[in-house]
Amino acid sequence: MNARYGMTIDIDRCNGCGACMVACAVENNIPPAHAGANDRKGLTWIRVYKVDNGKEYPERRSAFVPVLCQQCGNETPCAHVCPQQAVDVDPKTGVVGQMPERCLGCRYCMAACPYHARYFNWWDPAWPKGMEKTLNPSVAPRMRGVVEKCNFCHGRWHEARERAAANGLAASEPVDYVPACVEACPAGAIRFGNLNDSTSEVAHKSKEPDSFRLLEKLGTDPKIYYHSKRDWVKTIAEAPRPGAGKENVRG
Amino acid sequence: MRGTILFLAGLTAALGAGWIAFPKVLYRHSPQPVDFSHKVHAEKAGQKCEDCHAFRDDGSFAGIPSLEKCSGCHAAAMGTTAAEKNFIEHYVTPNREPEWQDYAQQPENVWFSHATHVKRASMKCETCHGSIGSAGTLPAYRVDPVSGYSRDVMSMDACVNCHWQKGTEHSCLDCHK
Amino acid sequence: MTTRRDLFKIAGGAAVGALLTPAPWRMITDGALWSENWPGIPRPARGEIRAKFTNCTLCPAGCAMKARCVGDQPISIAGVAGHPLSHGALCPYGIAGHHLPYHPERLLSGAVEDAAAAIKKGIGEGGRIAVFDTRPGRTASWTYRRAMASLPGGLYLRPEAALNGDAVDLSAARTVLSFGVPLLDGWGTPGNVIQARGNFRLIQVEAIESRTAAMADVWLPTNPGEERAIASLILNGGMDHIARELEDGPVLVLGPEDWPEIVELNRKYGALGRTIVSRRDAPVPDTWKDAAPEMEWADAAEGSIRVLLIDETAPGAYVPWHSIETRLSRDAVVVAFTATRDGYARHAQFALATAVFPEALDDIPAAVDSPAGVFRLSTSMVPSAAWTIDPAMFIAQLAGIDAASALRDRADAICRSARGNVFHYADQKSTPMKAMKADAFWKSLNEGACWIDDLDPKAHAPQLVARAATRASNVSLVETCGAGLVSPLFSKLHEESHVRLARHEIALNPAVGFCDGERVALQTDCGRIAMTVLLDPSIPPGSIQTATGADVLDLCGGATGAKVVRI
Repeated sequence: MNARYGMTIDIDRCNGCGACMVACAVENNIPPAHAGANDRKGLTWIRVYKVDNGKEYPERRSAFVPVLCQQCGNETPCAHVCPQQAVDVDPKTGVVGQMPERCLGCRYCMAACPYHARYFNWWDPAWPKGMEKTLNPSVAPRMRGVVEKCNFCHGRWHEARERAAANGLAASEPVDYVPACVEACPAGAIRFGNLNDSTSEVAHKSKEPDSFRLLEKLGTDPKIYYHSKRDWVKTIAEAPRPGAGKENVRG
Repeated sequence: MRGTILFLAGLTAALGAGWIAFPKVLYRHSPQPVDFSHKVHAEKAGQKCEDCHAFRDDGSFAGIPSLEKCSGCHAAAMGTTAAEKNFIEHYVTPNREPEWQDYAQQPENVWFSHATHVKRASMKCETCHGSIGSAGTLPAYRVDPVSGYSRDVMSMDACVNCHWQKGTEHSCLDCHK
Repeated sequence: MTTRRDLFKIAGGAAVGALLTPAPWRMITDGALWSENWPGIPRPARGEIRAKFTNCTLCPAGCAMKARCVGDQPISIAGVAGHPLSHGALCPYGIAGHHLPYHPERLLSGAVEDAAAAIKKGIGEGGRIAVFDTRPGRTASWTYRRAMASLPGGLYLRPEAALNGDAVDLSAARTVLSFGVPLLDGWGTPGNVIQARGNFRLIQVEAIESRTAAMADVWLPTNPGEERAIASLILNGGMDHIARELEDGPVLVLGPEDWPEIVELNRKYGALGRTIVSRRDAPVPDTWKDAAPEMEWADAAEGSIRVLLIDETAPGAYVPWHSIETRLSRDAVVVAFTATRDGYARHAQFALATAVFPEALDDIPAAVDSPAGVFRLSTSMVPSAAWTIDPAMFIAQLAGIDAASALRDRADAICRSARGNVFHYADQKSTPMKAMKADAFWKSLNEGACWIDDLDPKAHAPQLVARAATRASNVSLVETCGAGLVSPLFSKLHEESHVRLARHEIALNPAVGFCDGERVALQTDCGRIAMTVLLDPSIPPGSIQTATGADVLDLCGGATGAKVVRI
């Protein structure tokens, strides 16, 4: 049976430490910021946003929401608009795969993504001298001019598939693996698994009443389920971009 | 008439250049650092492919064996060939890894899993690597200096054709990283 | 005669012919392939994937780590699941700790001979020598103490011990009353705090809505700088609703410094012996027992030190320079052993470059929230460069003592004590110390293990010591990893998202009137530092939030209040 890899993210457990962001960059050979990078030109495949209840101090309450590619299952917007077929939705895992090697850099997918989860390489990657020794051989570095995003740690998925093949498991069996952000989160706020497996932790938690998805009304059928007991956090899910008190009008 | 002849002359010249001369000049030949004989090792030493080109415990493929593997037997000369003497003198003794040139070197963004093809699909080494395993010498390494890849590298078409025939993997991320 | 028309005919034929050959199509493909092999894009090294285990030295928690290596080179780091102290948790600093050896701001080499000569001269002229150790309790700390005992008048100085060196048993607490302590954002051992979180109610008294305040059960917003007044109020019977909670079960009261009110509250609500416990250190060889005693830096007489050697390699408490300076004589020589230019290197005559994590073999003493003593090694996962200095060896040599095998000697002493258990990282199994021989213990420690002492059966209730508050009260300092060097990938958290405050960024309430991104100066009586403003409505108008750094602590330590001025 086909897998649908998904996540549950417990906003009540997230303290905004950023371990997930750093671990993702380590795993996926994302370079440190170029000199001109800011929060609109950075490469943050997973990004923790700070959201609040809209009240002034001291009634203000904050929370942290990690946002990554939501792996949209229905009419995946980015796959729809790509003129190069550089985005490929894998039916056997549900993962929306980004192929930077096919990308021509038109950034149409970035406009189409309602979650702002796609990032453009404005510059060639550069690591301080010697740090290139710490690159992960399971993930190819990208050059400038292409778009990249979270693929649910395809490098780790490849290794898990290879291990399964070496151990004699059938190709149709979905493999068990853990993306870098899930492994890194010290609070265990991010959980990963197969949503199609009714016994999995993510399948259970995604069905709880306090679980919700971002921009549900758009009908993208994302595979990331957020969870919070706080009502004001749930209403954040309908905001165009979490934490943007003023929407980015500079483009 | 004269025009047609000239046209055909140009055509023929171009065809000759494109089909005969071009392949000759496109590739640069580069010798391997050691004149290694697969045949000798398979026959005299009684080795199978897996003895040197092995899988690790985690399922990954070790590829071209490292110096450590060769030194295991060739710490001292085992035969009388000049090639072996050269190998021991220049590589084993100074503990220097030979700079093998990989015929099958894929681009960085390609993920190929030997375990999937050899263990699960039970493919034979010869299906993709040809008869290199039984040859007496290593074939010349012909590299295209513009693209940087060897002449013998498998293109994506070759992989996809076989996959279509067998009805397997269809998604980009299956083979790309 | 060949005419131009002839040439066109030939060229036309050649063009058609060329298109019928593989050549042009091949060149197009090759051009595309050439454009993919963009020069300067590195190709990751390939090789056998191995696991190496170690412990982190970037903060006193010393969390257990599992490094994924290509050959011998670490390429990523994760926690060790099931570890009794860290429970598999790491923080962002540790996760990218393997980048530090390649940090572009790393201090490179230093004038070793000149420093040695200056030290010799200072001692030779009868001057007093002292070692100031930012992370006491390590085996290297014992080497310094032994060295100072061997030199006439030698002193071993340390920062003030939080909680007077006692430990916190978070699992025993039912209510935690915290005055601005970042309990859920880097205090103690993150994995331990998260594990214990479900057992206690957290009341956070703090002016700003920090990460800890946002996740606390109760956040008591105060006016900036009034936390001590609130503590006093509770002590004297005010704030009924809080007092009632405190009466109901084991309590722990924490403050950013050991204010008298904090000490009294802990005493009043029975924390001593329950949630604050005394802890015995890991055993040391008997021959070490005549080492110089630990002395707090403030107990050294003013103007008495001629040669000051500062070991800043293991990040711990930073004492502002103007305080240390008062202990120095007029012609003092200051040598800092450090890997960063941003700490005491700014004030020392000689800054000698040391190894960084994960280059050097070192041990990490128990963190504040470990009731049991521990012994664990940070293994050398990558080799140190030849130009790095090992301060313990340098100082041992200076004093003529042999400390080359100090770590092994200490491990042997622990083994002989037959106390405690050894937790092995590779298989996550525990062995009692008494069932292990010395060689096996040493091997385990180097392959990834942690010795955890039994709780002291003769433990007495600890005595807390009240300290005067020293820091500017309206400044909230966000703890950053004290190492001074953080992975270049921290740009993800700083300029690429602003989710965490970077060095020299200052968070202010929008109502104060500054603009986002404005350049300002943070100013106290001690000086000023240029900062960039980030607007944050979680900060009340009277508070300033900035990231810790040695220069910020120099500025705010001992100052009554700070202000922000335009530049």
